[in-house]
This record gives sequence, C-alpha cells and structure tokens, in this order.
Amino acid sequence: MKKILAQANKEWMQLRRDRLLLALGVLMPLVLLFLYGTSQSLQLRNVPVAAYDYDNSVLSRAYIETYGAAITFRLVPHDPQKSPESTLLYGDARAVLIIPANFDRDVRRGSHPRVQLLIDGTDANTGTVLKNMARSLNASFLKKNNLTQPSPVLVRLEPRLWFNPGLSNAIYFGTGALAMVLALFPALLGALSVAREYELGNIIQAYASSLSGFQWIVGKSIPYIILGFVELVICFALGMLIFDYHIPTDPSVLLVATFFYLVAGIFYGMLFGNATGTQSAAIQGVQMGAFLLALLLSGYLFPVRNIPDSFRWISYTLPATHYIVVVRNCLLRDAEWNIMLRPITALAVLSAIFFALNMLQVRKMQFKG
Amino acid sequence: MSDFLRRYWALTVKEVQQLMRNRGLLIQLLIPPTVVLIVFGYALNPEVRHLRMGVVDQSMTPQSRAFVDSLTENESFDVSQRFLSAKDAEAALNRLQLEMFIVIPTQFARDLRAGQPANLQLVIDAVDANTAQISRGYMQQGMMWALSHYNSWNGLDPLVRPGAVSIDSTVLYNPGLVTPWYYVTGIMAVLMFINGSLVASALAVKEKETGTIEQLLMTPAQTAEMLLAKTTPVFVLLMLVLMLALTVSVLVFDLPFRGSFVLFVVSGMFAALAGIGIGVTLATVSKSQQQAQLLTFFVNPPLTLLSGMGSPIDNMPWYFQKISIVNPLRYLVQIIRGVTIKDMPFNALWPDLAALVAFSIILFAISAWRFRKQ
Repeated sequence: MKKILAQANKEWMQLRRDRLLLALGVLMPLVLLFLYGTSQSLQLRNVPVAAYDYDNSVLSRAYIETYGAAITFRLVPHDPQKSPESTLLYGDARAVLIIPANFDRDVRRGSHPRVQLLIDGTDANTGTVLKNMARSLNASFLKKNNLTQPSPVLVRLEPRLWFNPGLSNAIYFGTGALAMVLALFPALLGALSVAREYELGNIIQAYASSLSGFQWIVGKSIPYIILGFVELVICFALGMLIFDYHIPTDPSVLLVATFFYLVAGIFYGMLFGNATGTQSAAIQGVQMGAFLLALLLSGYLFPVRNIPDSFRWISYTLPATHYIVVVRNCLLRDAEWNIMLRPITALAVLSAIFFALNMLQVRKMQFKG
Repeated sequence: MSDFLRRYWALTVKEVQQLMRNRGLLIQLLIPPTVVLIVFGYALNPEVRHLRMGVVDQSMTPQSRAFVDSLTENESFDVSQRFLSAKDAEAALNRLQLEMFIVIPTQFARDLRAGQPANLQLVIDAVDANTAQISRGYMQQGMMWALSHYNSWNGLDPLVRPGAVSIDSTVLYNPGLVTPWYYVTGIMAVLMFINGSLVASALAVKEKETGTIEQLLMTPAQTAEMLLAKTTPVFVLLMLVLMLALTVSVLVFDLPFRGSFVLFVVSGMFAALAGIGIGVTLATVSKSQQQAQLLTFFVNPPLTLLSGMGSPIDNMPWYFQKISIVNPLRYLVQIIRGVTIKDMPFNALWPDLAALVAFSIILFAISAWRFRKQ
C-alpha cells in the first residue's frame, strides 16, 4: 500500500510540474464539452434549396412557399442562366425544386401536374430525409389547396416521447458529450505517462525497484483517476449551466460508473503506452480508440442499434458505449442501481480486462529486463 | 541553387533514414487508414432495425391483431413482449427491456366498425433521442401503410381529387443512396490531417529533445532547407496514405471517381502541407514531444467536428458555421466529395482549392517562421 502511494505521489509530482498539461486538463474539457454538446444536431435544418419556377403563377409561388415555410429547407436564389442540374452540381443548393410550365392551368383543369425535386445524393442520409420531407410537404400543399379529400382517419396515433419529449439536441448531445470528454483525457494521460517512462528509460528503475507490476500500475493510475473526477465536477458544473444537467437523486450510480469508466480509460491508454513504448504511437492509439471509434461507434452520434451485427461487438468493447447509457439514463430519468447494473458491470469487466492486459505486458517486460 | 539542392538532398536522405528506422511510425501511418475506413464504412448505417416493441392489446380482437401484424411486417419492429396492462409495459420500459410500446384500447375494434377514429397510444423511450426520433418516423410510416391496406380491404380508393399535384423526387449522383460513400470520403480527409499534424509535430520536436538540434543548427543548412527536408518524407507518406485510402474506398465500397484526378491530388498535397504546418507550429510552441502531441491532440477534435465530415455544416448553430470557415479540413472534405461522388468542374471547386492553398501557405509560413525563431 505504501509503495502504491509512493508511486502515486511521484506521478503526481511529475504531473504538477507540467503546467501546460494541467492547463489543458482543465480548459480543454470545457471547450470540448461545449463543442461536442452543441455542434451536432438531430434534425435536418436549413438545407439550401433552389426553386425553378417555370409557371410563375400565384399557385406555383404558393407551392414554393410551402418549402420556404418548412424549417428543413432554406430557399436560396439561383442564377437563372444555369440549368437545374448545374445548380446542383456546383453545390449552390442541395436540392432543386422544378415547377413545370402551365402548373396552375393543369391544376385547374383537373390534369395532374408533376413537380420535380432533384436531390444531391452525396449525403445519403440527408437524401432520404429530403425525399420523405418532399412527400409530406406535397401532401400538406394538397390539403391546404383543397386538392384532396380529408381521408377518414381510422387510427390515430398518439406518440409520447418519454424523458426527452422535445427531442432536445442539448439534452441528447450534451449528455453524450460528457462521456466523450471523459474518455479523452484520462486515456491520453495514462498513455503518455507510461510511454514517457519507456522513452526516457526510467522504466528500468521501476524494474530494478522492489515495486511489483501491480503496485506500479495502480500507483500510476491513482493521480489520473483523481484528475478525472475533478474534470467530472468541472464538466458537470458547465453542463448544469448550458445542458440542463441536474444532480441525479441517487448520485452513487453515476459516481461508481464514472470511477470504472475512468479506470478503464486510463488502463486502455497505459496499454497503448506499454505496447508501443513511444509517446507519439501511444497518442495515435488513443486518438483512434478514444476519439474516432468512440465518436462514431459509441452511440454518441449514431445509435448503436444501427450498427450491423458483425461490427457491433466493437461498440461493446468501447467503455464509452456503456458509459453513455449510464449518463443518459442517470441524467434524464434518475435511473437506479437495479436498472444500471448491466452497463456498470460491463464497465467493470472492461476495466478488469484492460488491467489484466497491462499486468501481462508488465510481467513480460520485467522478465525480459 | 545547386548548393541548395545538394544540402536539401543530404538532409532529406538523413530524414528518410531516420524515418525508415522508425518502423512503428510507418506502421501507424499506413495501417489505421485501411482498417478505420473499412470499419466505419460498414458500421455507419442510418437504418434502425429490430427495435424491441411491447404490445398492450386490451382490445384482443382480429382487428387489433391484424393491425399489430401489419406494423411488424417489415424488419423495423419486433414484438418482444405482450403485456396485460400498461403499467407492466411501463415497468419493462423503465428496466430498459423495451424501446417502445403501443397501447391498443378496449374499444379499438368497436370504433373502427363505427367509423370513428380509434386512438392508439405509442410510448417511446427518448433517452436515446436519435433512436426515438427514427422510430417515431417509422411508426408513422407503418401507420400509413397499415391504413392504406385497411382502405383497400374496404374498397376505398386513394382519396385524390382531380388536379392533385404529385411530386417526383430524383436523387442524383448517388441514386442508390449508398451511405458509406459519405463517410469514407469524410474520413479520408480527416486521416490526412490527423496523421499529418501528429507525425509532423513528433518529428519536429524530436531533434529538440534528443539535443541533435544544435548539430543541425551548426551545419550550413538554412532553416527553410531544414524544414523542407524534414517534411518531405512525411509529405510523401501522407500522399501514400491518401492513395491507399482512395484505393480501399473504390475497391471495397465502389466509391465512384467521376471528377478530376489532378484536382484530387493537388488538393491532397496542399492539405498535407496544411496538416504538417499545424503540427510543426504546435511543435515549436511546446517544450517537449509530449506537449506537442497533446496540443495536436486537442486541435484535432474541433477540426474534425467542425469539418462537416459527419454531419452537414448547414445544420450547425450559426457561430460554428462561421468558425468552420477558418477550418482547412472543411475545404478538403468538400473537394474530395466533389471529385468522387459528384463530377464537380474546376470552376465550381476553385474557391475551396484557393482556401486550402491559402491556409496551407499561411500555416506553413507560420511554422517556418516559428521554426527559425527557435
């Protein structure tokens, strides 16, 4: 125990001397939390659409106005010399609405005019959404202009969205952001502290001392766990200001989950530090695992459920996936222990696995040394 | 001039030799792009399938069962559990065993027969707001479908009046709406920047840390030559990474290449320069390799998030849209998408290319200036 504390103390001294590191440790999480929490959006908004009105009648303008009124679209002017295709090709608009000549006359005399919407399919998701949106805007135009009989509503759906009724971006991404921020820093520090020992050659001293691998690993991680909790407090305070965080009725769930999450992150980072022995490679490992993989596969941006079965196991090996579940449930519905047991167990198991891998590496090294 | 070339060549050879000895660096530069591209290309999918739905059928009639059947006909919803009361379903939702449940009231069949609208309650767990939003949309579509079925059973025709307008949506460039194309092109660009800045900052500080920088300063080489020689091998490697990423995307995901290859290569070169410039600049302001890498590590997430690689820039709050104007990565993403998925002509892409060139020159100039100052 004493040895562990001594190792922790040494680590802390090293950390404290690095002013830049500490400044980054306090400032960057705040900036990143803000960025992660506010830059992404669930709803598609302000998609630039150009309207080519070859009819120029009251009715055709009314049709275009349904697009102007929808929050999804933003009407943009276009060069009348350019063809609709080239407007799309040049990227001036992401969709082009074309209203044929004689639109108004055709409506009045009972033939069925066809309006065309050209969609830029570069972003396939947006393309799908725009396609559906066009259909419902068309339906609303028909209804407004009395071109359709009110269909007898046979079944009326009453959707209730529990826990986030407004589907608020701030709540959704704000909670995910906490997990993203806490994934980055502890993992990074762990990776750096280990890799540095290898680069400077100090690791030999650790081997030569009476310190066991277990004591070395645990001692090294303690200061970073504490730092992680400090980060949690700072980020939580910011979250209460801008993302409507509130302290859950049973904070122990969140605290225990955070503990395992931090531990898993630090051990994951140390794993890379041990394996590569160079700081730049360790950072890149963390960059891939804790940033890119976590950003895209943890459920922060895209639901984990969407990922095909053959790739979903990757999500489940990321601590961030489980931690996001805990954070969202704790902050939105005050989840209690019995419900959150599964993700927390997963976090504990993951940290145990990362720890065991660290032990294995250290043992192998010591034998070699 | 020949002196310059001679010195430049000698320094470059030295850098290449140093780099070749650093196997780890080579591996970390070349392997991740391939793996990352394939994983993300396959894994990112907007379709939600097999959502766990609970059913509280209080009506217990052929009509209600037919209705549930028609909802679950596609793969979006699975009826995972049936409940006798809404209370039980609520409890299951709270235990995370369900994503949603529907409540079919007792008078469902009676209302239908009487020609009155029957009410259905749908409760969705919106803790994961993204899934909730998608499943609500699916449910509404499923309802429309079930409704049209019901109408055709009863001999009711679609209710359009003469003169009704219809809409034809045509998707250009990607008519099959293949999702991976969007992500692989975005990730390709991100990899150039992340790798470029990380490796360059590592290399630039290394001399300072090992103390060999004094030896370098004593040689007749100018700082500009030193910097050029230092970045040449990294630059070549980055271009290799870009070609590798493009090959993987084309072979694995059938990414089309419709535009100008020259434009692709040229913008890739300037992006590599910009990435290296960021790395070297950050390296010169920091004292150790660790600090340099940390700084790059924190510069990269904002660059990535505000580049439009994952979600469109139009969709961001206005202040982020303004900030993204000074993000060089944004322009690379636009150009790569413009020449692969679309066939954007040069006079549509030149503003992006000009911005990229400007940024790379500015960043590289700053890095040269900072490099000289030390």
